[in-house]
Amino acid sequence: MDNNYAIQVKDLCISYKCIQSFSIKKSLLQLKKSKVEVHEAVKNVSFNVKRGEIMGIIGKNGSGKSTMLRAIAGIFSADSGTIELESESVSLLSIGVGFQKKLTGRENIMLSGMLLGFSEQQVKEKMQEIIAFAEIGKFIDLPVKTYSSGMYSKLAFAITAILESDIMLIDEVLSVGDAKFKKKSYKKMKELISDSNRTVLIVSHSADTLKELCTSLLWLHEGELKMQGEPAEVLAAYEEFMS
Amino acid sequence: MKRFLNDVKKYWAYTKYSAKSGLKSEVASSRLSWLWWILDPLMFMMIYVFIAKVIGSSKLNYFEVFVFIGLSIWNFFNKTITDSVKIVSANSAIVSKVYIPKYMLILSTLMQYAFKMFISFSLVVIMMIVYRVPVTWNYLYFIPILLTLFLITFAISTIVAHLGVFIEDLKNVIQILLRLVFYLSGIFYSLESKLKLEPLLSYLLLKLNPSACLIQECRNVLLYNKGMDIKIVLAWFIVGLAFSALGIRTIYKYENSYVKVI
Repeated sequence: MDNNYAIQVKDLCISYKCIQSFSIKKSLLQLKKSKVEVHEAVKNVSFNVKRGEIMGIIGKNGSGKSTMLRAIAGIFSADSGTIELESESVSLLSIGVGFQKKLTGRENIMLSGMLLGFSEQQVKEKMQEIIAFAEIGKFIDLPVKTYSSGMYSKLAFAITAILESDIMLIDEVLSVGDAKFKKKSYKKMKELISDSNRTVLIVSHSADTLKELCTSLLWLHEGELKMQGEPAEVLAAYEEFMS
Repeated sequence: MKRFLNDVKKYWAYTKYSAKSGLKSEVASSRLSWLWWILDPLMFMMIYVFIAKVIGSSKLNYFEVFVFIGLSIWNFFNKTITDSVKIVSANSAIVSKVYIPKYMLILSTLMQYAFKMFISFSLVVIMMIVYRVPVTWNYLYFIPILLTLFLITFAISTIVAHLGVFIEDLKNVIQILLRLVFYLSGIFYSLESKLKLEPLLSYLLLKLNPSACLIQECRNVLLYNKGMDIKIVLAWFIVGLAFSALGIRTIYKYENSYVKVI
């Protein structure tokens, strides 16, 4: 593997098919076999990302952007093709985070941290910082189900932002919360992204953000790689295509 | 195998913490909290003892303890498996955000129910003292029996957890099956005493059903001063190992597709 690349994706194909869940009742009642629908979300996509690079991904809804990020994070399996990462420390930040609703915010911080590959000790050390950043006050010791959606996303953001990983995958979440927190989180995100040791993939619909942050851009269209190159160049082509 | 050991090492702290906080939140959310872990089997024990007295089929020594041991083990076995069927979709929030070996979720559930079983076993100890059950060296057999129970429960759980992802109404089927197994496990009557009626059939029912077999062994060593049937417990231990390996293997092979289904 080439040392310069943090992420190498080769001929990646991901499809949703046959593995649809079925119920015994249904399959007994309707003897006729239902058609297996194959939906190819990502088709033959190859690209490399250098260490420290910030790559943006654009494309209209349903073009396979989130699916690809999940595959890179190791949550999805590729049907064919390979994904190679130089570091095991990968985190995916996306809308709606994985909290256990019955547990308190503090416990969820511990659990999320441990799932991201940090030890109990490491998370404990960062705990105060996360709580301070999240600004949710005494709610931290209440079950997450009592949180408002703003608090929920603020806490999630704080966890990913403070517990830094080598490769960050960002799915549409560059800032959360009210106007003040938005500013703060956007600033923090920019700070994280611009660290030269960190490799970042950003999915976003905001042309301005992408232009400001990214060093290169990837355009996915219906699962296929349409264009890759300088942000300004790709964005111009994309905007023309979409209008 | 190597991957399994590595993963267990890596996610052990998480599993333990998640089991602990699961128990804690249960305590926090219910008023009688942990008392339920004792009250639940205790009440059911009273019901079964009452029914057995009404029907007049309880000629066993220490019948109350007999039922209570059966119920404690059964609750663990039953609840772990029932919860495992839907464990992947129940944890979809985590599963769709970060990678975790899915059997670790089962392990965390298993730990929670094992803890509750230990609590109810502490009551067994109290009852044994009250009823003056003689203390013997046979108590030591309790440990291998318990290990076998964990292994078998884990093995069945991994397999139903995998199938449960793809078959939506598996839970209904499993619940019916488990109810059948419950009545066949001799929780509130002695399967052994029925041996005289249909020797071969009862023998098979007793030995081919892991919960019946392990519950009976457990009662024998704790209450009736008998040794353990080493051959049969060892056999179930090996079966448990084999099916755990199979279950873990299957989960490894398919777990990355789970998210696409749930």
